[in-house]
Amino acid sequence: MILAVLFANSVGNVLIERFNGVPAEERLTWRSFLVKLGAENLKGVKNEELLVACHKSVYIVYTMLGDVSIFLVGKDEYDELALAEAIFIITGAVKDICGKPPTERVFLDKYGRICLCLDEIVWNGLLENTDKDRIKRLIRLKPPSEF
Amino acid sequence: MAQPLVKKDDDFEDELEFSPFLGIEKGAVLQEARFFNDPQLDPRRCSQVITKLLYLLNQGESFTKIEATEVFFSVTKLFQSKDTGLRRMVYLIIKELSPGSDEVIIVTSSLMKDMNSKIDMYRANAIRVLCRIIDGTLLTQIERYLKQAIVDKNPVVSSAALVSGLHMLKTNPEIVKRWSNEVQEAVQSRAPLVQFHALALLHEIRQNDRLAVSKLVGTLTRGAVRSPLAQCLLIRYTSQIIRDMGNHSQSGERPFYDFLESCLRHKAEMVILEAARAITELDGVSSRELTPAITVLQLFLSSPKPVLRFAAVRTLNKVAMTHPMAVTNCNIDMESLISDQNRSIATLAITTLLKTGNESSVERLMKQITNFMSDIADEFKIVVVEAIRSLCVKFPLKYRSLMNFLSNILREEGGFEYKRAIVDSIVTIIRDIPDAKENGLLHLCEFIEDCEFTYLSTQILHFLGIEGPHTTDPSKYIRYIYNRVHLENATVRAAAVCTLAKFGFIVEALKPRITVLLKRCIYDSDDEVRDRATLFLCIFGNDGLVETDKDSREYLFGSLEAPLVNMETSLKNYEPSEVAFDVDSVPKEVKSQPLGDKKAKGKKPTGLGAPPPAPVLGFDAYERLLSSFPEFATFGKLFKSSSPVELTEAETEYSVNVVKHIFESHVVFQYNCTNTVPEQLLERVNVIVDASEAEEFSELSSKPLNSLPYDSPGQAFVAFEKPEGVPAVGKFSNTLTFIVKEVDQNTGEAEDDGVEDEYQLEDLGVVPADYMVNVGVSNFRNAWENMDPESELVDEYGLGQRESLAEAVKAVTDVLGMQSCEGTETVASNARSHTSLLSGLYIGNVKVLVKAQFGMDSEKEISMKLAVRADDQSVSEAIHAIVSCG
Repeated sequence: MILAVLFANSVGNVLIERFNGVPAEERLTWRSFLVKLGAENLKGVKNEELLVACHKSVYIVYTMLGDVSIFLVGKDEYDELALAEAIFIITGAVKDICGKPPTERVFLDKYGRICLCLDEIVWNGLLENTDKDRIKRLIRLKPPSEF
Repeated sequence: MAQPLVKKDDDFEDELEFSPFLGIEKGAVLQEARFFNDPQLDPRRCSQVITKLLYLLNQGESFTKIEATEVFFSVTKLFQSKDTGLRRMVYLIIKELSPGSDEVIIVTSSLMKDMNSKIDMYRANAIRVLCRIIDGTLLTQIERYLKQAIVDKNPVVSSAALVSGLHMLKTNPEIVKRWSNEVQEAVQSRAPLVQFHALALLHEIRQNDRLAVSKLVGTLTRGAVRSPLAQCLLIRYTSQIIRDMGNHSQSGERPFYDFLESCLRHKAEMVILEAARAITELDGVSSRELTPAITVLQLFLSSPKPVLRFAAVRTLNKVAMTHPMAVTNCNIDMESLISDQNRSIATLAITTLLKTGNESSVERLMKQITNFMSDIADEFKIVVVEAIRSLCVKFPLKYRSLMNFLSNILREEGGFEYKRAIVDSIVTIIRDIPDAKENGLLHLCEFIEDCEFTYLSTQILHFLGIEGPHTTDPSKYIRYIYNRVHLENATVRAAAVCTLAKFGFIVEALKPRITVLLKRCIYDSDDEVRDRATLFLCIFGNDGLVETDKDSREYLFGSLEAPLVNMETSLKNYEPSEVAFDVDSVPKEVKSQPLGDKKAKGKKPTGLGAPPPAPVLGFDAYERLLSSFPEFATFGKLFKSSSPVELTEAETEYSVNVVKHIFESHVVFQYNCTNTVPEQLLERVNVIVDASEAEEFSELSSKPLNSLPYDSPGQAFVAFEKPEGVPAVGKFSNTLTFIVKEVDQNTGEAEDDGVEDEYQLEDLGVVPADYMVNVGVSNFRNAWENMDPESELVDEYGLGQRESLAEAVKAVTDVLGMQSCEGTETVASNARSHTSLLSGLYIGNVKVLVKAQFGMDSEKEISMKLAVRADDQSVSEAIHAIVSCG
C-alpha cells in the first residue's frame, strides 16, 4: 500500500497530500515528519535525484522537482523499489504537464491536471497506471494509444 | 473572492509574486460552486472551480455535512455536460467528496449509465467512482458489469475493474471471490499492467488455498510475465510457497530455486533485487544458493541510483545478521558507502560493516565512523551506537577503542535518546567486560560534569553507587559526585547524596570524609536532599566512626526483595489504618506474564534505560528468599538458581513454573503457582513429588502454600538431599494438591467448605547443566593458557547426522550449560568446521574452560573434538562424562 503521496513547496507548505490507510490523527505527524525530512536532506539535491529512508517496515522515497518536493511513503509490497517506480512516473507526469521542472507558481497553475494525473497513477494506495503517454491521454478521457 | 487563475503566458516576475490560489477562501469557492446549477454550463469555469475545491481539500480544509452535501448535489448536475475534460474532473471530485450513503443514490444512475457507455474511458472512470462510493447491496447489482469489465479488451477498463476488486475485497470479500474465473483470464492478458493487477487480485482471492497459489505460481514461473511489477509479485509468492513447502524436495533440490536464480538475470533492476532478496531470505539457505544473490547485490552497491544502493545495502544488512561471512566480500564496496550522501545508505553500510568486520578491522572502521558521525541525525547515530555495543561484546579485547569512541561522542552535541543510547552502551560494556569498568566509570563521571539531562545524571549516579565502591580506588569518583551537590538541581543533588552515602557504607576508609561532605548537605535548600543527608548521617553515627549495622545497610541499599510491581500493588491496596504497612507482606513471587506476552520475552535488557520485560528475581533475591526460611537456612551457600521451567501449558486454570536451586548437598524446587480462576480460592497448596526416577535424591522437607487467591502468585517449596558435591541427576514427577473453595464474585468472600483436588504437572528433570554456572571470561586465550595444561582432557565424539553445524554447537552448549565466549556461539553459514570456546563454573566453584572443535562431512555427520581444562581434573572428566551421556 502506498500510504502517502505528498507535494510540498520549498518552505515546506503542503501543496497536495493524499493518505491511504493512515488514520486521520496520525496524518499531522506524518506531514511534519516528511516536511522535516525534506528540509534536512533535500537542500542542494539535483532534480529528480531520489533519496530514500526507512523506518521499521515503512519506506520513504523522496525527491526534488523544481521548487516542489515530492514524498512517497509505502509499506509491504510498496518498498523502496516500487516507490521509486511510482515516484519516477509521478515526476515524469508533472514534468510533462508543466513542460519543465516546475516553479511553485507553474505547479499551482497546473494544479487540476496534476491532481488528475495523480488520480490515474495512484488510486487508493495502489499503483494503477505507469505509462506517461497513456496517463496524458487518460486525463483527457482518451483511450490509450496502443489500444 | 479568490484570485482569478492567471494565464499561462505570464512573465517570470508574475510567477514569483502570485499564486493562483492566493487569498482563496472556502466560503467564496462554495459560492462559486453554485455555477454548477446554471442551465448554461461553462465547462472551463466549472473545471476551475473544481480545481479550487480540490486545492482546499488538499490543504486539509474540511467541509461541514451541509456544505459537502450542497457541493455534491451541485456537482451531480455537471453530468449534463458532454465536455470530456469537465467529466474527468467530476469523477475526481466525487471521489474526493466521498458522499454519504444516503446521498450516493443521486449519482449512481448517472454513473451506471457511464459504466455501460460506449466510450471506454467513461466506463473505466465510472467503475472507479462507483467502487469508491457504493456498499455491498449496490455492488451485487453492478457485479455483472464489473465481471465483464475485468475481461474488457481495453486494458484501462480491465485495470480499473481489477483495482476496484482489490479495494472491495476488504469490504465485500464474498462477492469479489466470485470473480476468480474472470480474474484468472485477465492474468493471461497481454497488457502488462492488467496482468499485474490481475495477479495481485487472484492471489488475494486465493491466498488461503495453498494448492491453488502453488498451481498459479507453477504456471506463471514457466510462462512469460510481461510486467516487471508482476514479476516482483510472482517472486514474492514463490518465496511464500518455498517457505510453506519446507526445505527441500526429495531430490534435495529446493523447488523454484532455479526460477529465482533466473530472475537474477532479468533486465529490470527491480526484479533482480527482488529475486536476490528472496534468495537471501530462504530458510537455511546454503552458500551455493546465496553466492549469486550476493554477487548481484554487490554490483548494486556501486550503482549510480541511490534507491538501488539502498535496496542492496538493506538486504546485505539483513544477511549480515545470519550469514556475516557471506557478506565480507562486499566490505570494500560497503566502506565506500560510508561517505554516501544519502545518510540512510551510509548508516546501513556502517551497521553492516560492524556486523561483518573482524577484530583486526575494528580500529580502521572506528576511524571512518568518527568522521561520519558528525553529519548524521540522532536517529541514525543511535543505530550506530547500538551496533558498536554489540561489536564490543563480540570482541571484548577491542573495548578500549570502542569505549574511547563512545566517550568522544558522549561529549558532542546530541538529544536525550542519543545520549541515553551511548550511556546504556557504556553501562553494558562495563557490566560485560570487567576490564572496562574503571575506564568506563570515569567516562560517565566526566559526562555528568556537563550533562543537561536530569534523568541520565541520576541514573549514572545510581550506577556509580553500585560499581564505584568496588573499584581499586573508589576515592577518585567522590569529587565528581560531590560536584553534583553544588552544581545541579534538587533531583540530581538528592541522587548524589545517596551515591555518596553508598560509598561511605561500603568503603570504611572513606566514611569519615564522606560524613564531612554529607554534613554540608544538611543545609541544602531542598527538603528531600536535607532529609536524605540527615538520614544517612544518623545511620553513620554523625562522626562517621560507628560501624553501620547490617540491617540499616540492607534496608537502605539492598535491592528490593519483592518485585517492584508487587510492592506497588500492595501499597495501592493498603488502606491507611492503625496497622502499619508490613513490607514482609508483599508477595515476593514474580507475577506470571499475561499469556499474550510470553512469546515476547527473552530480549536481554541493555543498560540503564531498558528495564527487563518482566521482573524475574535475580540470584541475590533468590538467596535472600531461601535463607529467610529456617528449613533451608542450613543448606549453606546457594550455588545456582535455574531460570523458571514451565510445568503447565498456557491458558490452564493453574499456572505453575519451577526454579531449581542447587546447593552443595541439597536441591530445592521452588514452585511458583498462580491461580487464574477468579471464582476460586486455593488453600493448603502443596506439590507432591515422586522421585522414584531420581535415586540419589531423598526428600527432606516441603513448605506448602497456605492460600492462593486469584491472580496473586505464591510459592511452595520442596527440598531434597543429595550426596555432597555430586552432580546427581534424575527425573521428578509432580502433582499439585490443594483445597479449592468457591468465591462469591459479588462479595469476594470464599465459602467455608472446600473440596480437596489435585492437578497433574509436567515432569521435571535435574540435569548436568544445572551444576554449571555460565560465567564468561573476557580473554579466553589468556584464561586457557593460565590453566594447568596437565588438567586438560581431550576426546573425540561422533554427534550423528544434524541439519547444520550451528544446531550441533547449540546442543553441546546447552547440554553443558556453559557460556560461549568471544562470539563463538555464531556459526558461519554452511561452515564445515567451527570452534566453540566455552567457560563456566562447576559445582564446588571449579573453573572450567572448554574448546570444542566441530567438523561436518558431506553426509552432514558431525564429529567433535572436545578439550577441557579445569582447576580440578576430576571435573574435566565429569564434563566428558556429560557429553558422552548427553
